[in-house]
Amino acid sequence: MISSLLAAGGFVSPHVDYHALAPEIVLGGGICLVLLVDLFVSDSRRWILATLSGFVLLGAFLPVVTLGVIGSDVRPMFDGRYVIDNFSLVLKALFLLTGYVVVLLSTNEIQEGGYHKGEYYVMLLSSILGMVMMASSRDLISVFIALEFLSIPAYMMAAWRKRDLKSNEAGVKYYLLGVFASAVMLYGMSLLYGVTGSTKLVEIGKVVTGKGKFGGIEVMGIVFVIVGFAFKVSAVPFHTWAPDTYEGAPTPVTAFLSVASKAAGFVALVLLVYLAFPQAVDVYRPFFWVMAALTMTVGNVVALRQTNIVRLLAYSSISQGGFIMMPLVVAGSTRSAEASLRAIVVYLIIYAATNLGAFAVVIAVSRKTRSGEISSFGGLFSYAPGLTVLMTVFLASLAGIPPFGGWYAKFGVFNAVLSARSGWGYSIAVIGAVNAVIATAYYVTIMREMWMKPALDGDVTPVRVPGSIKAALAITGVATLLLGVLPGLIGHSGITGLAGAFGL
Amino acid sequence: MQLFVFICAGLMILTGAIGVIVRSHPVHAALSLILTLFGVAVMYVAQEAQFLAAVQVIVYAGAIVVLFLFVIMLLGVDTAEDLRIEPFKLQRKFAMLVGGGVIGLVTIAAISSRDNLALVKPLPSDAVGSVEIASHDGNIRRLARDLFSDHVLAFELTSVLLVVAVVGTVLLARRAPKSPSETTS
Repeated sequence: MISSLLAAGGFVSPHVDYHALAPEIVLGGGICLVLLVDLFVSDSRRWILATLSGFVLLGAFLPVVTLGVIGSDVRPMFDGRYVIDNFSLVLKALFLLTGYVVVLLSTNEIQEGGYHKGEYYVMLLSSILGMVMMASSRDLISVFIALEFLSIPAYMMAAWRKRDLKSNEAGVKYYLLGVFASAVMLYGMSLLYGVTGSTKLVEIGKVVTGKGKFGGIEVMGIVFVIVGFAFKVSAVPFHTWAPDTYEGAPTPVTAFLSVASKAAGFVALVLLVYLAFPQAVDVYRPFFWVMAALTMTVGNVVALRQTNIVRLLAYSSISQGGFIMMPLVVAGSTRSAEASLRAIVVYLIIYAATNLGAFAVVIAVSRKTRSGEISSFGGLFSYAPGLTVLMTVFLASLAGIPPFGGWYAKFGVFNAVLSARSGWGYSIAVIGAVNAVIATAYYVTIMREMWMKPALDGDVTPVRVPGSIKAALAITGVATLLLGVLPGLIGHSGITGLAGAFGL
Repeated sequence: MQLFVFICAGLMILTGAIGVIVRSHPVHAALSLILTLFGVAVMYVAQEAQFLAAVQVIVYAGAIVVLFLFVIMLLGVDTAEDLRIEPFKLQRKFAMLVGGGVIGLVTIAAISSRDNLALVKPLPSDAVGSVEIASHDGNIRRLARDLFSDHVLAFELTSVLLVVAVVGTVLLARRAPKSPSETTS
């Protein structure tokens, strides 16, 4: 009966490639599963939910691996609006693994904080589902829904410590500014749709040039859309929410926001720049140039004056965002388009490993000191030498000192902007180099505190690191080291085929 | 006729929109919002998007604004805030500058490409013939076909998003059962 009705309506059901959609389906099922299991487990056995969420993320990771192994062919679905290719697979893997590490980081914090445990993991999983969806979206509508999908749970996670005024402030600020950014972005999207008559990124890309018959309206559309995502990646001058939110939110959530949420914002920017308005170089190049320069400089200069370690890492992550944005400046030049794309993806991967590691150490140490001040790291070496060495590795990697991962990320970025051989590229490279030096200053401050200062209040009882945080430290530490020593590793695992996906 | 409808609806929308920000009483502001939403619905009808117009009236003017009014009444309107206090100096002037600037830019952009806007081709009517669009339920059919073929994934995931949003909101709004001192209040 239904089929005859469908036939009468002339409806052809869309082709659905279930293997390609498996990560999304597993995550969606996992969200429901965790939500339901939460109802039936007693309070003392809630740790099951963390384990379960971890397995859901690994379960979603499996099809990503099989899809990667099978081949590098592009799998478009829904009239090319949802595409599985190397680019999206690499980023899906990044988001899922980041999510797994955040689950590891959260386990104890959530267990001991008296928060709602089950629902926390539901929020985390759905935010990751949004990011996974973002990596494959090739259509304004699905980009927008993916953005809301990853943001709305994140707003709530930022406010998860309900009794803490700072956490409330964090959630409200993030929410209000995030919604405002969404509204601005939607306006830009509607302008782009109005000009092109299509929501497909590729088709928009055929029309939008930023000059010619629709010049003015196109420019407004492009600028508004970029502004919307600039909020998401906390680029200066749209960064004002970031420090307060990062400080107020529970620390594992901060780690998640500063890594995964930022990465998702950059994925969206990459999609838009490479697919939706590749010809509008004159519009986005100066815009990204100014934003990248401001983001690096302001983030760094303010970070120099911070005394709270989480706030310092917040400003440091803002300035790292500036480095990730640098290649977008030269994305329009044919000489550097491919190198830029690769530099951004590599930077996102290495930055995720390093920054999550740094936050893992902060979480481990603050479990003992109950303080977020940099001075609470004083004399860390005398009672927690392992953590000190790891933190030094992570900070050195963030600063870009060889042989850790960060230097290769920075090398890729500078390589990309210089390969454009244009004034825009050279000038942003100089600003980036100056900032890399400034950034080293505050990373070294923390190192000096850990290695040379005496312990705070002479308290040298060893730090007890729970197993899950140990696992997180192991994953991020190994990743940071390996990616620095053997950067070829990422090169072989699919990134080489990245550009093919965008037809470069 | 079309122009007349457009002008009337446009006036409704603008009056309502200005009312939302100018009226200091929240209930009046919410009622002004209804005016705007109705104006938009009229625009939809003028564009022969009857289904959208119906949804607009039912969902926005109906459900959402009623929700607004409920919230306003539950929170109470007598605690009026003094809007003249400025937490930051120059904040208001700066906001005016930015707002005016954006309006100016959009206007200039629209005027500069005014002659070309008519060039935008209507949506490609692929499988659906123009005859069907003209028929009384062509709109709905077209919408459904778009929703369940090209955008089906986004559509399905939106349902998950709504569930997650409800779960999170309930949790953030709920009182913790652990502390007995609060449950009594």
